[in-house]
Amino acid sequence: MKKILSLAAAVVLAGSTGAALAQSDAKALVTGVCSACHGPEGHSISPVFPNLAGQPSAYIVLQLDAFRGHLRGDPNAQAYMWGMASQLSDATIQGLADYYAAQKPAAGKPGAAALMAEGRKIFEQGIPSKKVQACAACHGANAEGAQVFPRLAGQHVEYLVAQLEGFKTGTRSNAPIMINEVRDMTAAELRAVATYAASK
Amino acid sequence: MQQRRLGGIVAALALSGGAVLLAPNCAQAVPSFARQTGMACEACHTVFPELTPFGRRFKLNAYTIDNLPQVSDIAQNKDQTLLLNQLPPLSFMFQMSYTSTKSAVPDTQAGTGTVPPDALAKNGQVLFPQQASLFYAGRIAPNLGAFVQMTFDGTSGSFGWDNTDIRYARLATDNFLWGVSFNNNPTVQDVWNTTPAWQTPFDQRSATAPTPGAATALDGGLADAGVAGVSVYGWWNNSIYGEVGMYHSAPAASQALDSTNVDVVDGWAPYWRVAYERQWERNSWQVGAYGVNAKLFPGGGNALSGPTNNFDDWALDTQYQYIGDEHLFTVTATYIDEKQHLDAAFASGASANPSNTLKTYRIGGQYYYQRRYGAALGYFSTTGSEDSLLYAPGVLNGFGNNKPDSNGWVGELDWVPYQNTKIALQYIVYSKYNGASSNYDGFNRNASDNNTLYLLGWLNF
Repeated sequence: MKKILSLAAAVVLAGSTGAALAQSDAKALVTGVCSACHGPEGHSISPVFPNLAGQPSAYIVLQLDAFRGHLRGDPNAQAYMWGMASQLSDATIQGLADYYAAQKPAAGKPGAAALMAEGRKIFEQGIPSKKVQACAACHGANAEGAQVFPRLAGQHVEYLVAQLEGFKTGTRSNAPIMINEVRDMTAAELRAVATYAASK
Repeated sequence: MQQRRLGGIVAALALSGGAVLLAPNCAQAVPSFARQTGMACEACHTVFPELTPFGRRFKLNAYTIDNLPQVSDIAQNKDQTLLLNQLPPLSFMFQMSYTSTKSAVPDTQAGTGTVPPDALAKNGQVLFPQQASLFYAGRIAPNLGAFVQMTFDGTSGSFGWDNTDIRYARLATDNFLWGVSFNNNPTVQDVWNTTPAWQTPFDQRSATAPTPGAATALDGGLADAGVAGVSVYGWWNNSIYGEVGMYHSAPAASQALDSTNVDVVDGWAPYWRVAYERQWERNSWQVGAYGVNAKLFPGGGNALSGPTNNFDDWALDTQYQYIGDEHLFTVTATYIDEKQHLDAAFASGASANPSNTLKTYRIGGQYYYQRRYGAALGYFSTTGSEDSLLYAPGVLNGFGNNKPDSNGWVGELDWVPYQNTKIALQYIVYSKYNGASSNYDGFNRNASDNNTLYLLGWLNF
């Protein structure tokens, strides 16, 4: 029988006995706490909560650190993650990030054909007239992400749209590059590119 | 919070005993959970007290998810021997209300002293507070959590023990959670808003307006009699729930459990619960069943031996929930079927029939826009056997035609300016009350006279 620790318990132990224990307890944390929203092995059900499976480790570290330091303040970040991340040690954050990075990503599902076509164009070529760069340049040709640039493939469309809108309205302000990119994009363009990226 | 009258046979038998106890009847959302987890109310509640899927998991996990600095200790073998929040998870709740019935209720002293026989009470009652509660709600040890409520009841003017749910839970495997709950109100431990302790939108009622006299044991009768129970539950794969438990008499009294008490459980009353929940995207749907079997000694001047009154209840329930960013929508329904074998009441002449039935169903829907502006509509119905002794005529609370039937609608408008503050305006329409639409009590009061306007201010902090 697995020993399950509450989040705080894991944090206390991690803090006292170092990174190795934090790594092993990350799984207990995932099972006992994170999975309540992010699903087993990082495959969430509700689009309120992002899929984490296959997300680059560096990106997860960056976000958890931003939640902990209140640098990422979109509504759901405040409602859920400010509290959840508040007591995490650096070692535990790394353990959690490595765990989710190692999980098999969710498969993408194609959206409506017209949306997909428009989204693909933006994703691969950007919108030169609005100085929007091609998404693929940072997020990868298959939206698989790399380092601090998140995986978009297999993500919930609604989640991606909410993030893009957050960059635009300023509620999610911890990504200066994205704030620039979405500034002049329309709601329809945001949805199209989110639909295409998530489908990969 | 459901303001229950001792229902049906339980009511009839309890009245003679004159028992006064503060029944557990007010289950709440508490900010100390938010303080403990660091998460906003909306993580666990659509709008309090209704739970989200995450709220259900938080409760099933024994309220232990925690993000506060801890006082901790471990044994040599690294077992965690202490894990205590540095600050106690305390909360306070304050409710104030205004109640007005369509027609004023009779003066309780009518016909005595200088009070004329046809005297009426003043209509339009302000309660400040209607109820005030102090909670300890949060983790108390690594796998152990408590939801403990002490309540000042404005109508009885006393402090008393209210809902309590102390539970232990842990994961046996990655996808199987088990736990134990110690509680004092059958269904208060439940995580769906379909069961009597919690049903949306039937959980808020005026503390002073008349309420129908007949209710099943599950629907508050057993809790009002004063019980404590233990149940063991399992939650598999985030979808299948099973629970079995037992309730024992535990009246709030300092003397021995003897004939001065009323409705004393003979031994233990078994309780059971099964449910299935499916989640997809922003939706969840649950279907389940639950029940209790209680054999009660009438007490109240009778020795606690010999024949009992047996209440055999089973119930079905279902809940659909949609939680969007803008729009939130919930439908809940339950059906409760009670068979009463009234050996004790029949032998003593308290009931005309040796056995009766009582059936209740409720269905309700609730909508919220941005968790701030809400509206709810619900229908309720209770029907049962005619019994001339159990359901006797009487001013206001009586049954003129000896039938327990009541039904009607409840409508509610809600404004939630902050996640921990709610203003509710409610109106209840009774089509039938204690057996009839007109002259229901045998003293010329009509069901619609009890239609109730209720304005509630509800603060949690």
